[in-house]
Amino acid sequence: MVDWRLFEPLFEFARKRSLWIVAFCTGCGGIEMPPLMTSRYDLERFGMMPNPAPRMADLFLITGYVTPKTLKRIIITYEMQPDPKYVLAHGSCPLNGGIYWDAYNAIKHLDRYIPVDVVIAGCMPRPEAVMDGIKKLMEMIENGTADGWKRYRENYEWYKKNQDELFGEGWREREARRWIPWLMDKKKKEK
Amino acid sequence: MLMIAVKAFLILLYATFMGFMFMGIIRIVTARIHRRVGPPIYQPILDTIKLLSKKSNITHGLIYDFGVIYALGATILALMFIPLGGVSILRAYGDLILITFLLEIPMLGIMFAAMSSGNPWAGLGAQRALLTLLAIQVPLGFAIVALAEFYGTFSTYEIVMAQQTVGWSITHLPLLLAAIAYDIVLQAMFGKEPFDIMIAPGEISLGPMVEFGGKHMGILQIQHAIALFAETLFFSNIFLGGAVVTAFASPILNTIASLAVLLIKQLAVLMIAIFIGVIFPRFTIDQAARFYWKWPTIIAAAGAILAAL
Repeated sequence: MVDWRLFEPLFEFARKRSLWIVAFCTGCGGIEMPPLMTSRYDLERFGMMPNPAPRMADLFLITGYVTPKTLKRIIITYEMQPDPKYVLAHGSCPLNGGIYWDAYNAIKHLDRYIPVDVVIAGCMPRPEAVMDGIKKLMEMIENGTADGWKRYRENYEWYKKNQDELFGEGWREREARRWIPWLMDKKKKEK
Repeated sequence: MLMIAVKAFLILLYATFMGFMFMGIIRIVTARIHRRVGPPIYQPILDTIKLLSKKSNITHGLIYDFGVIYALGATILALMFIPLGGVSILRAYGDLILITFLLEIPMLGIMFAAMSSGNPWAGLGAQRALLTLLAIQVPLGFAIVALAEFYGTFSTYEIVMAQQTVGWSITHLPLLLAAIAYDIVLQAMFGKEPFDIMIAPGEISLGPMVEFGGKHMGILQIQHAIALFAETLFFSNIFLGGAVVTAFASPILNTIASLAVLLIKQLAVLMIAIFIGVIFPRFTIDQAARFYWKWPTIIAAAGAILAAL
């Protein structure tokens, strides 16, 4: 058989130059996306594309503060993405709470719940700062240090413990029951 | 036998490469119209390599895997039937109806796969794709009838040869009308803007494509590249005169020259589709069906009647 490790540099180059962004804009950072995507800063030069489907996304942008309600969706969307996947947290809020540092309903440290590869500080970061973060992420992909998806697999117990502490045991089943009750009923019957 | 296999492989390689270049050209031209720089021309190849090299893959069952392969296979089969200069292998059997049918089959394969995934967006997109498929049948049928009536044959290769003596199809009024109708239909077959109802990014989250990821999407990218090449090739063969170059003594030079002539014609067809796609917004599905059953149908029917007179 072919030894695919031989082609690994090519794959890394392709991964670096074709990051598809899942269009999940939380908080106020979503407003930085239109200038990045359109003719002012034009991220398509680097092959980046906004993509509505999590199944074919590589880069997950968390663009602002995260509430527990959004965090559930973020975790589920993150787990839906196929494997070499990267997370770029955008702004101070996912980093340490930002101006919501004493809010009862904001997540202060996003990297306790999902692995984050690059964090851009600032409130809000300008598009130039975001492009700088993306450049950093590209460098990290090239030298193999953007390994958030590996860390999530290896330390899944820890991440799951933190998630369960916040939402309570069995929150995935409860959420799924609210969205797809017919499927969960069928599964229960099969059991 | 070996010669034919090698030829088929070379055709496939050329079509895939050119299809990817076409996809790159679409993205660059769109970007330039938006006053952006745009990605490099080889960007779709990088996207496909990235998708095929994903480490985890999600499948939803046998039909989900089968539909993707089915779409790719149907596209490759359609490509083999279309005359490509002097190198096509199945061109003697290339019936107009057969080729138009084979060019629509991939959509059915993608719909099988999308529907079996159980995603509501995919189901919605598949419904819209079916309705679009239904809407384009009427003008497409009239355009094919006009061609067959004018030349008295259904064979694509004979139509190409006939055009070498009587001039391009679009220089005759009945076939010009048919070509206009077919070009409007082509817009829906490419999935470009006024009729991109079935994928509709941002509205129904890419429709049928929403659940594909990793290797499935990579195969669909290859399928899309070959389909782009095959559809533009078919149009330039039946309406723009095809290419039969006999100016040189050596057959290899003749083949290369005819491929180059075909490529220019294909690019012209592609550019029209891009320009229309970039400047128009999207129709809703009922508007699209009503549009297709009214204007292109009237134009193509007029062409068919004129050709029969």
